[in-house]
Amino acid sequence: MRYLILMAGVLAAGFGLSSPYQIQLLTFIGINSLLALGLNMLMGYAGQISLGHAAFFGLGAYVTGVLTAHFHWSPWLALPVAILLTAAAAFLIALPLLELSGFYLGMGTLGFGMIGYVVFRQWSSLTGGDSGLVGIPSLELGPLSFADAKNYLFLVWAVALLCIFLCDRLIHSRIGRALRAIHDSERAASSMGIDTGRLKVHIFVLSAVMAAIAGFLYAHLVSFISPGSFDFLVSIRIVTMVVIGGMASVWGALLGASVMTILPETLTVFTEYEMIVYGLIMITIMIVIPQGLFRGILDIYERARFRTGSIPAGPQA
Amino acid sequence: MQEFLQYIFSGITNGAVYAVIALGFSMLYGSTGLINFAQGEFVMIGALSLISLWKGVNLPLPLAFAGAVAITAIAGAMLERFAIRSVKKPHPIVLVIITVGASILLRGVGMLVWGKDSHGSPSFSDHAPYDILGATLLPQSLWILVLTLGVVLGLHIFHKRFLTGRAMLACAISTKAAGIVGIPTEKMVLLAFSMSAAMGGIGGVLIAPLSMSSFDMGMNLGLKGFCAAMIGGLGSSWGAVVGGLLLGVLEALGVGFLSSGLKDAAAFVLLLLILYFRPSGLLGTASVQRF
Amino acid sequence: MNAQGSGQEAFLPVLRLEEISRSFGGIQALNDVSFEVAPGAIHALIGPNGAGKTTLLNVITGSCPPDTGAAFLGDCRLNGRKPHERVSLGIARTFQNIELFGSMTVLENVLVGRHVKTRCGFFGAMAGLPGCSLEERKARQRAHELLDFVGLSEAADWRSTDLPFGWQRFLEIARALATGPKVLLLDEPASGLNPVETSTLCDLLRKIRENGVTLLLVEHDMNLVMEISDRVFVLNHGMKLADGTPCEIQANEAVISAYLGRERMGGKCSACAI
Repeated sequence: MRYLILMAGVLAAGFGLSSPYQIQLLTFIGINSLLALGLNMLMGYAGQISLGHAAFFGLGAYVTGVLTAHFHWSPWLALPVAILLTAAAAFLIALPLLELSGFYLGMGTLGFGMIGYVVFRQWSSLTGGDSGLVGIPSLELGPLSFADAKNYLFLVWAVALLCIFLCDRLIHSRIGRALRAIHDSERAASSMGIDTGRLKVHIFVLSAVMAAIAGFLYAHLVSFISPGSFDFLVSIRIVTMVVIGGMASVWGALLGASVMTILPETLTVFTEYEMIVYGLIMITIMIVIPQGLFRGILDIYERARFRTGSIPAGPQA
Repeated sequence: MQEFLQYIFSGITNGAVYAVIALGFSMLYGSTGLINFAQGEFVMIGALSLISLWKGVNLPLPLAFAGAVAITAIAGAMLERFAIRSVKKPHPIVLVIITVGASILLRGVGMLVWGKDSHGSPSFSDHAPYDILGATLLPQSLWILVLTLGVVLGLHIFHKRFLTGRAMLACAISTKAAGIVGIPTEKMVLLAFSMSAAMGGIGGVLIAPLSMSSFDMGMNLGLKGFCAAMIGGLGSSWGAVVGGLLLGVLEALGVGFLSSGLKDAAAFVLLLLILYFRPSGLLGTASVQRF
Repeated sequence: MNAQGSGQEAFLPVLRLEEISRSFGGIQALNDVSFEVAPGAIHALIGPNGAGKTTLLNVITGSCPPDTGAAFLGDCRLNGRKPHERVSLGIARTFQNIELFGSMTVLENVLVGRHVKTRCGFFGAMAGLPGCSLEERKARQRAHELLDFVGLSEAADWRSTDLPFGWQRFLEIARALATGPKVLLLDEPASGLNPVETSTLCDLLRKIRENGVTLLLVEHDMNLVMEISDRVFVLNHGMKLADGTPCEIQANEAVISAYLGRERMGGKCSACAI
């Protein structure tokens, strides 16, 4: 039901909006939602953090960018390559780090993000270095051309909605329960026979793959990418989206992505204070409502519902 | 030979700065079990405060030095008092997000206060560089080495000889037990935060004359300090020093083979390798908390 | 399955420990401990504080590998197997300090216990394969049965941490049973329970035994131990002190002097359910 409403909303917005600026903004919200959703799966459900998600985002964008612009591959061939490469990188990062406590994963992914940024800048024969990579073609599917901004909007949101739908299903499955169990108590989860290490690696890879898909969509939308779009601040922006939307909330990711996309656009002074705002948001929300805005409101609602329920009799053997 | 010696000199100089930053990470981890992602930002604040106080306000160097370190110590204390202490459930991910938030906040504040430009600082003294076997040794390097040694010794004496220092070690072993015997554990955490921030500040003061300082210098230095602390084994003071020097020298020698752009990446690759293969550090024996 | 394991060695042991030793630094927590757990019986592991009971439990669950010695579940050697692998082999446990999944409802907690008995993976769940939804329905049904079994079915939709303390223990037991164990390890199941809850627990443990699950409990409540156990192991200073029926243990001089001092053992011998 919620999907139908959202779909209708996107369709209405797509046909209703005429200004290219607004369409572009909505498209970016879709791409950011993908990023936030992916990281949310990792942070909210597995209780692990990644401070280098921009590198996975960048990997997706650069792999498809290089393959299509330099080697003239079809984007649809480049997509699986981008996904596979990102998954492999994420797997290698996750395998040893997820055994360690959350702080080390934070530092490790931070370091990985820096490595990614340096590689995008320095490997200029492929990536174009600081001046960026130009000439990434737009997407085409048969007779349908996504060079048209509205079509691209629909494409991005179709992918985003599909991912939200799939993640929602995953969370409400056996795997999702196991993930939440790890988040609540790793010791108890492993005493239930859950292979916590393996599951954490899987969710990390899933999270990175979603970032890569977002990167793919981003690259073919803007047709020009440069390292600046994948630096540390971008990783922080994604974390902030998750924090605003609330960890462990698929729909919160949408909210976080919308806020973090619209806010910088509407506040023109924002660039000066961007970092201060991010920092304050992260600190304040973590202290006051660690579940995030969205989840915080839901929690109040759920608590109220439980209070009114009747009290059962308890265990009697 | 001459070139090699030159690399070693510059490596040891940078390494000593990494060592001081690493010491900040290490002592905070040792006494609270936390890793502060804003540590690098304290380095930035230390460096830029020194430049402002010394060259901007024209304070004498020792006063400017003390002032810069005091400013970072206060920033560290505020981080603990207003952010860390208010956390209800200290899950690692929450603490990571808060300290990362603090780091980005401080960086934003740094940009507002000092602008986006880089600032330089002269050396602490005007001696001519020394010539040793054809390689030049800057007087600033000696300053850095002496001050680093001073910090390490000071910390060692603080932990071993002073009641407060021993109380802090007690808190590190068991906060609960320390509280029961009457140690004000909250104050100890506050003190640990400001001391670790002060060490970041000292690192910043030391590095200010070596390179240009700007609001975004913190993350690189913070990560390298963390890398050094990991090499030596988190929680170990001497490990932090050895780790810092090792990282500095390796990095300096690496410049000979790698381009300067890749130099930064090399330190992070090293960090990842250490996290993979020796998370307890090359020297450390303490087991890494697995959760 | 025969539920009356009255200490005869004729049974093939379901769980067997052979010469287990484990030290922490200079402390020998376990020293050459061997024992066998007969199937379908209630076993108790007692001993003074620091005797090595919890370490022994951790050796069995795999969270603390022994320095020497071997553990077997049936014919299957457990050494080197990770804790989660042992769960699928049939070893479940509860914790002394209850560890529920606080963000989940009571029912979901039990459903997590079905993890090892279900197969649906990442892609299956995402694609919503019919096999997965069938499996999920069955798991839910089983979870409801188990909640019924421990008497918590009415609280199925509560948030688990909103339950009163005693009920949380029962939930933990239901959750452990959901993994379909051969052996269920209970770490001080009666601690923090009031007398009424303890007697409910007593009945519940018997019911579990009747269902063919072997129980091994670490417990300080001697009345409970003597009342329901078929066999009691006594550990002291990391070594096995005695092993026998509750009556034998109560009469054992070594146990009385080493463990109980001059105090009389709680519970009457006549209470022994032999």
